[in-house]
Amino acid sequence: MLADVLEQLVHGLTLGSMYAMVAAGLALMLGVARLINFAHGEFFMLGAYAFWYGYRELGLPYPLAGVLAVALMVVWGVVYQRTVIRAILPRSWHVQLIATLATSIVLTNLAIIVFGTQPKEVPTALSSTILDVGGFRLVWQRLLVLAGALAIFWGLHRFVSRTRAGRAMRAMSQNREACAVVGVDVQHVAMITFALSAALAAAAATLVSPLFNIFPDMGTGLTLKAFAAVVTGGFGYVNGAIAASFLIGITEALAGSYLSYAYKDAFAFIIMIGVLLWRPQGLFGRRLGI
Amino acid sequence: MALLEIRGLVKRFLGVTAVGGVDLTVAAGELVSLIGPNGSGKTTLFNCVTGYLGADDGRVLFRGADITRAAPHRIARLGLGRTFQHVSVFGRLSALENLLVFVQQHQEENLLARLVRTPRVRRLEAEAVARARTLLDLVGLGAKAEAPAGSLSYGQRKLLAFAAALMPDPELILLDEPAAAVNPTMINQMKDHILALHRQGKTVVLVEHNMDVVMDISQRVVVLDHGQKIAEGPPAAIRRDPGVIEAYFGR
Amino acid sequence: MRVLVRVAVAGVAVAAPWIVAAIAPGQQRYIVHVLIFTALFAALALSYDLIVGHVGALSLAHPAFFGVGAYTAAIASTRGGWPFLADVAGAVALAGLVAALAGIPLFRLTEHAFAVGTLGFALVAWIVATNWVDVTRGPLCITGIPKPVTTLPAWYWLALTALGLVLLLYRGMTTFRLGRAMHAVRDNEPLAAAAGIDPLRYRMLAFVVGGALAGGVGALYAHYLSVFCPEEMTVALTVNMLVIVFLGGVGTLRGVLVGAVLFTALPEILRLAPTWRLVIYGLLLLVIVIRSPEGLSGLVRGRAR
Repeated sequence: MLADVLEQLVHGLTLGSMYAMVAAGLALMLGVARLINFAHGEFFMLGAYAFWYGYRELGLPYPLAGVLAVALMVVWGVVYQRTVIRAILPRSWHVQLIATLATSIVLTNLAIIVFGTQPKEVPTALSSTILDVGGFRLVWQRLLVLAGALAIFWGLHRFVSRTRAGRAMRAMSQNREACAVVGVDVQHVAMITFALSAALAAAAATLVSPLFNIFPDMGTGLTLKAFAAVVTGGFGYVNGAIAASFLIGITEALAGSYLSYAYKDAFAFIIMIGVLLWRPQGLFGRRLGI
Repeated sequence: MALLEIRGLVKRFLGVTAVGGVDLTVAAGELVSLIGPNGSGKTTLFNCVTGYLGADDGRVLFRGADITRAAPHRIARLGLGRTFQHVSVFGRLSALENLLVFVQQHQEENLLARLVRTPRVRRLEAEAVARARTLLDLVGLGAKAEAPAGSLSYGQRKLLAFAAALMPDPELILLDEPAAAVNPTMINQMKDHILALHRQGKTVVLVEHNMDVVMDISQRVVVLDHGQKIAEGPPAAIRRDPGVIEAYFGR
Repeated sequence: MRVLVRVAVAGVAVAAPWIVAAIAPGQQRYIVHVLIFTALFAALALSYDLIVGHVGALSLAHPAFFGVGAYTAAIASTRGGWPFLADVAGAVALAGLVAALAGIPLFRLTEHAFAVGTLGFALVAWIVATNWVDVTRGPLCITGIPKPVTTLPAWYWLALTALGLVLLLYRGMTTFRLGRAMHAVRDNEPLAAAAGIDPLRYRMLAFVVGGALAGGVGALYAHYLSVFCPEEMTVALTVNMLVIVFLGGVGTLRGVLVGAVLFTALPEILRLAPTWRLVIYGLLLLVIVIRSPEGLSGLVRGRAR
């Protein structure tokens, strides 16, 4: 019994890590550039396919295939930023939402056309090896996901707090107008933030793909859960988004296992609505005036 | 009984106390001005009274009824009208339609009556239009009745917002800086309109920076500084009050 | 003059099956089928526009209400043996009820959270439809939904009647005092409140009526196709609605109708595969929403100051 719970807990941490990496990127975009990006999950989806391509079709070793996926997504992120994002950044969030939702639909359906609807599998050495400790079974890949996520978050923290770009990002998230006045290249910082969030999603895809199937639709649900995490954590707060992601991941795993597997995807939103009804500004958000 | 009673109102923002326990009573028919240096909490007080901000402590009573936690639309329906510091109109509607929006007291009518143009509804509508036109003429915007509000000049929009606030015939009207950012002619117009309201028996409270206007038309002046009331009395007394002078110039 | 034009358009619309039979007899079945779809989606788009265009709430939950209505009608008729009008009425009522219940927590959220919340709600509805197999048969779909009328022209006139009813309700709600109140809430909420208008009340009204109507259209749709599956309730439907409403002219009756005709009939006629259709729609939506002058999307943005 305990072994089961522990397994589900680990499963939850895995899910949480995945959601957290994706949600962190989303929160970054929101916090720094005030951008609502509904095509964010597609970074993950395309990253997963890129990883699949590198690992399965090109036969690259795991880490190299991962680097390829991240690199491709960064490139795509920059292209996306220079074309679509630059055009919608100054506009109202309604425009942003609809434009990025449209992008998401385009990408998803293009993926269906190019890759087909049959899910792809990318089993790796670690995803097939199981650690067995007295009934408690753990797929090594899950540990990799968790370790990878922690390493990435540590790296992100260092980047944001130590580098010039990171400082600019923090400044922009607090006061965009002042930044422009002081000479911070707002577009440039936005581009870096974007590339960063794309990389985060691709890294998540690389770590997680061996555990799950890859299919064109996977981005949509992920985007929604990431948004749920971002909104629950307090709009634009990266730490809040990460915390909320783990909350969602663990709840999904435990509730999905002990309550209802079919409806496990609904829990993210139940949590979100619940938290928002209790604290409309999110877990860590600040309540502002009028 | 006082028309409006504010007791110990407190409002804080992220550690800063914008309004720190203000008491204010306004009797029916008075013309009161609320003045104070920038940041003294005047507009915050307004927003708390009219329901746009939630007070952290204290009470607001209108005609004896507690409106402290009431929503803005409910307060408006009780007969408390207001204008906004940054002129607020419905840009896409015509001047006339702007005023018609303010006629909502027939809310109690059921949905069916609104969907079907019964003779009664038609009559009420016609009456509303007539009243709106009268008010527009009063503020000199009669010719602009069909023009989109967004096309009017700043001063004209200010007059429009003023007229709109009068449409539901409120008992008490709160004006947020009616004389700000307009030319002297318009200021005189505003003064005349406000005095006319006063003569009709309406209760007016204004937040204002323009001292000439304040001293000229007010019966009573209340001075805020740093969220506290520091003086209260007839204009002449306030002008000479050392505390007030200190607040304005001693910084 | 305008009345004359409207009567003419209405006349053409009613006579369409005969006109088509005269002009293109070989294609009649197919074209009338497209017209039926167009009428249904026009009604759906109008119900959506009430929420998005007139009260300014960017709801992405519409597929949920469409689905609730469709499944209600499907289940009531196939398992309960309900007659057509009864199950459509039931669909409208239940969809409206679901909208009311969902609206209560959703409208307490801020704008952004509201959009995400409605999207999440639509997803949850789809999850329920796919997994509550006892009731909805999940991916196996509900089949054998009885058709109240059998000939295509009769279906067309049925759909057209539904569109007409929706149109009347739409007009009634978006004009005069009710319409002014809704537009006031959309364009300048603080000022609307100062005018004595309760923003929540009007948002809920648009949301519930829009949702109920969507349910009704869903019921008709289910009866027409005789089959209803969870796939009909996905975000693709929202994109469809967004395209129709935004590219047609959000908040305007004529715009939405034109949009519905363009974006339902055209792809059918071009016989695009669903995936390609969505790619093109997405690109179109993207381009138009980016390039449009503030007027088009400004309508949804509201806050005219």
